[in-house]
Amino acid sequence: MRTLIGRFRAFTAARARSWIRRRQGPDLDPVELTRNRIYILPTRLGIAYAAMLFAMVLGGMNYNNNLALGLTFLLVSLGFVAMHHCHGTLRGMKLRLLATQPAFVGQPVGFRLLLENDSVAPRPRIELEAEADRADIADVPAAGAAGVTIELAALRRGRVPLPRFVVATRHPLGLFRAWAVVHPDYSAIAWPKPAERGRVPFGRETDTGGAQDRAQGDADFAGLRPFQAGDSLRRVAWKAYARGQGLHTKQYAGTDVVSHIFDWDTLEGLDTEARLAQLCRWVLDAHERGEAFGLRLPGQAIPPNLGPAHRQHCLNALALFDTGAGHG
Amino acid sequence: MAERPGHIRGLLGVLAALAIAAVPHVTHLPAWITLQLAAVMAWRGAAQRLDWPLPPRWLRMLALLIATLCVLGTYRTLNGIEAGTAFLVLMASIKLLETRNARDLTVLVFIAYFLLYAALLRDQRLPQVPWLLASAAITTAALMRVHAGSTGDSWQEVAKRTGALLLQAAPLAVLLFVLFPRLPGPFWGINVSESARTGLGDEMTPGDVSDLSASGDVAFRVRFFTPLPPPVQRYWRGPVLHEFDGRSWRRPRGQTFPAQQVAFKGDAIDYQITLEPHARRWVLALDMPAAWPPREASRAYDFTLMSSRPINEVTAYRVRSYPAYSAGQALPASIRHKDTQLPAEGNPRAVALGRELAASGRSPEAIVREMLRRFRVQPYEYTMRPPRLADNAVDEFLFETRKGFCEHYASAFTVVMRAAGIPARVVTGYQGGEFNPVGGYLIVRQSDAHAWSEVWIDGRGWLRVDPTAAVAPERIERGLLGAVAEDEPVPGRLRESSALWAQVEFRWDSVNEFWNQRVVRFNSEAQFGLLERLGIKEPDWRALGLGLTASLAAFFVGLTLFLGWRFRRPSRDWPARLHDVVARKLLKRGLEPGRSEGPVAFLDRAMGSCPDLVPQLREIRTSYVALRYGPKPRPDDLTRLKFLVNGLRA
Repeated sequence: MRTLIGRFRAFTAARARSWIRRRQGPDLDPVELTRNRIYILPTRLGIAYAAMLFAMVLGGMNYNNNLALGLTFLLVSLGFVAMHHCHGTLRGMKLRLLATQPAFVGQPVGFRLLLENDSVAPRPRIELEAEADRADIADVPAAGAAGVTIELAALRRGRVPLPRFVVATRHPLGLFRAWAVVHPDYSAIAWPKPAERGRVPFGRETDTGGAQDRAQGDADFAGLRPFQAGDSLRRVAWKAYARGQGLHTKQYAGTDVVSHIFDWDTLEGLDTEARLAQLCRWVLDAHERGEAFGLRLPGQAIPPNLGPAHRQHCLNALALFDTGAGHG
Repeated sequence: MAERPGHIRGLLGVLAALAIAAVPHVTHLPAWITLQLAAVMAWRGAAQRLDWPLPPRWLRMLALLIATLCVLGTYRTLNGIEAGTAFLVLMASIKLLETRNARDLTVLVFIAYFLLYAALLRDQRLPQVPWLLASAAITTAALMRVHAGSTGDSWQEVAKRTGALLLQAAPLAVLLFVLFPRLPGPFWGINVSESARTGLGDEMTPGDVSDLSASGDVAFRVRFFTPLPPPVQRYWRGPVLHEFDGRSWRRPRGQTFPAQQVAFKGDAIDYQITLEPHARRWVLALDMPAAWPPREASRAYDFTLMSSRPINEVTAYRVRSYPAYSAGQALPASIRHKDTQLPAEGNPRAVALGRELAASGRSPEAIVREMLRRFRVQPYEYTMRPPRLADNAVDEFLFETRKGFCEHYASAFTVVMRAAGIPARVVTGYQGGEFNPVGGYLIVRQSDAHAWSEVWIDGRGWLRVDPTAAVAPERIERGLLGAVAEDEPVPGRLRESSALWAQVEFRWDSVNEFWNQRVVRFNSEAQFGLLERLGIKEPDWRALGLGLTASLAAFFVGLTLFLGWRFRRPSRDWPARLHDVVARKLLKRGLEPGRSEGPVAFLDRAMGSCPDLVPQLREIRTSYVALRYGPKPRPDDLTRLKFLVNGLRA
């Protein structure tokens, strides 16, 4: 019996989902929660409230007690008012994707959303409900915005689309829940999980950037990295040292900095995912050491470079390799 | 969620709501229930503050079991207002033991609403209303605070929003109140007389009525459609007592007697009597009722008007009475037997007096006159503080103390009449009443309670004899206050005689009367009457249904419009609006402000691409900058900008 009810509920919920999906179509950023896409039903507490009011009406009629009936009608009316306010709290709000937070497989990717309210009334207690590790509750101020984050475990590399999620509120009295379903076209990138340390990259090491098209000689300052024994004293950032920021070495792209090319083809004998994991590990380690590196994948080559943007570029290339999602 | 209570938003508000909702029940509940609620509330508040752990589940289950048993032990039921309230209060305590989240708090709020409701079932008089409104507002505010998010952190904000919600709810509440169909009677049984109501009982022991007389509460109000009868005719007939045990008089139970016919003479008195609830069935009609609503009342064999059900709410009847009547042509044997019975023993001197009067050969009328003369001539005294009487109460009163209240005289007189072989009985009711010139109706209070006798005289029927009138005629003419000595304990409200205070009293009573008539007694009849006055011909249930549907629809539309206004865009100030006008005009030139382009940047760009407009745009820009960022804009700055913008031809 119980399983039958459970199956019935699952069935109706699935039907409702696909009906809503067909009805609304995909959502483009920003998403405005218009009247025709907000649904509202009483919560369990709302149903209990209604049952209480029903008993009160019966009792009031039975006892012919007008004052008791008056209280009951006030509460009935209050329920209706709360219903409209619940609906209004959601109606007209806008959702905008602020940023996505990439992550390695196994860690959660994040979607930072902005709840925008351009009306003069606040929209409190906006809940995000997603099949996710984390979904926030926010109070959106009048004529303002509030940021919320949905975090989603990345199970495989590549683009992780944000699945349908629900924006809901039970404001003001908790008797009703208004909600809107969003089918976003947002996705975050999940990088391959880096392999264990151990394998050393070999071959394809260049010591000058002259051959690279992006290299522009000495002037191409690329950043600072902590001083290591053996670095040239001419390259020490003395100004930073004078400011008390510690001893750092200036780095220049395309000069005599140690520069690797991490090549897909050197990893023969491994399958695709293992190769990507290994390349990922090398990219991370090289970046950490402040070394310039380039990446060579089948059909794609990223020239050696330095810095966080380059690291992200390379990691994205690894994440999207052969996923049909095009190049990052 | 940990078992630790932690900090729940809104707990204190819910505790306050519960406390206020429980207040009117305190006098009706056993002390231990109130005390335990107070204790649990204090403990829960402290647990919140000091992070104490909440009790385990088995303890709560045990508490629930004990509470149920206690209520069952006290009331023998869980049903009805009294037991129901007690049970509800205990449930609140147990729920407090496990309050962990918003849902638990909401359940407590629902209990508070229910307590509020139960208090109204018990008492719906006007002074309840301010408390009702305050309590409903506080309870709703507590509910809001539980669910309001960060706005719930400030009490002022919550109070404001709750007030707004309740105000928005008020119109529909009024419409529902007016249009919701009322039933003529209860559709299932009501536990009668659960709470002690003041009023006449079906038993009288001399000493009782004087207790009642100490109460200044209103027993009923009467609006006359014919001229106000004089005080001597204002005998309001209540229960008739037939059985005497030597001390107390009682109404016979479970016995039926044949009805007697009444012939009426003279002018009729038409009136509407509005009874305060007294939990019994009698309708206090003026002697002698001749016409009444046939489906709601009937006249008993001893002429008392009886309602078809106990009067547990304010009830009104339209009655016609005749002060002149002859009640009964012949006396059925069963009634004669009943109304001549005396206990075999006790009160020997009173019985001897009766027999002596009978043996003297006088007619029954002469015997009655002789007895009244005795009360008048001998030093009998009318007092609210009669001495205590022992076993032979009637003897003691008649021959020794000679001090008594109306019930002493009625009782003694009736005993002597029965001993003389004259069928006689005690009639209890009210006598007199105070006319309220403000409202134009008569107020009859509990302090007007009275007892008199009725004797059977062959050929004349049942005659009313009021021995009190022989002792203290002022009682009949001027009421209790005129009849008793200065220092007697009559209710304070009667003693007060300042004219101003009397005015205040009358006005207050008029307001109460209005409340009773228009709100408490608002029924299907009043409903249809109201609809008729609003121009609906022959309203029926369908009209009510239609009205309800229409008001609901109107209310929903109104709310939607209101919420559209509430969530409106902020209004832009004048410079911003004028800039919008400029932007609209420049649209013709293919210029559109960018998403993050400020007005000044936009105007600069426009000047770059429309050289012909440069002079005008430059002026607009200067004026705009002065208004927006200038030290102190003057009113004519704005006028100038308006002028410039209007003159712009793109």
